[in-house]
Amino acid sequence: MKNKIKVYRAMQDLTQEDLAKAIGVTRQTILAIEKGKYVPSLDLAFRISRHFKVNIEEVFSYEEGVRTVDID
Amino acid sequence: MPAEGGSCLYHGMCKILTIGDAMKKNIFYLIIGFVALALFAILWYSVETFTPVLFMIAFVAGVVFLYLVYRRVEDFIEDERSARITEKAAMRTLQVFWVCFCAFSIMAVMNLLYMPRFTREFWLDRRTQPVPLELMSLKTIGYVQLGFLCLMIFLYVGFRFYYAKKFGEWESDEE
Repeated sequence: MKNKIKVYRAMQDLTQEDLAKAIGVTRQTILAIEKGKYVPSLDLAFRISRHFKVNIEEVFSYEEGVRTVDID
Repeated sequence: MPAEGGSCLYHGMCKILTIGDAMKKNIFYLIIGFVALALFAILWYSVETFTPVLFMIAFVAGVVFLYLVYRRVEDFIEDERSARITEKAAMRTLQVFWVCFCAFSIMAVMNLLYMPRFTREFWLDRRTQPVPLELMSLKTIGYVQLGFLCLMIFLYVGFRFYYAKKFGEWESDEE
């Protein structure tokens, strides 16, 4: 799963802390999502994209064949 | 004077648990410290007077009290990532722990059922009586239980670190 959170943040001049506060998560979670360490739930993904006032597909994209969520 | 002190303590408790405002994290840590001190004092008293039940009750009450206080802390932000870390660490701990615990329990039940030990002599001459296992002492069971408790804590902390690292807890920030 790839995302453009960093790009949208830069466009709206938001820090990770600002975005985290706005959607009710920790700054570490935003950082982990941006770095691809954590794949957000659908609910959180929608909240992030709605905060940027764009569709979810514009922020998150699914890469075929690349499994980002492993079971362990 | 002692009555006033007791009343003050009672009102303080009520404020913490029910009618007080939301609490800050540091106050919560302070309360943990006080509870730990109180539990240590009760443990001391229980050992001196040989009343283990007193400590058992105090320990459960202490944990319940801390849980009620924890619910009032406002600056612990728990989001889905931290919930997932906790969930995965707890699940893996349980998966490893139950195997160890089950193995020990089977051994303990075999002991309780007084299962005989079939020695070489028994197989050579069936008229020989099988030798029963020696019963495990309560002291040994206590030590093994303590060992299991330590194992559980060790596993949970280990898995927590593993999943926290995996889900980017200590990622450096270039912002």
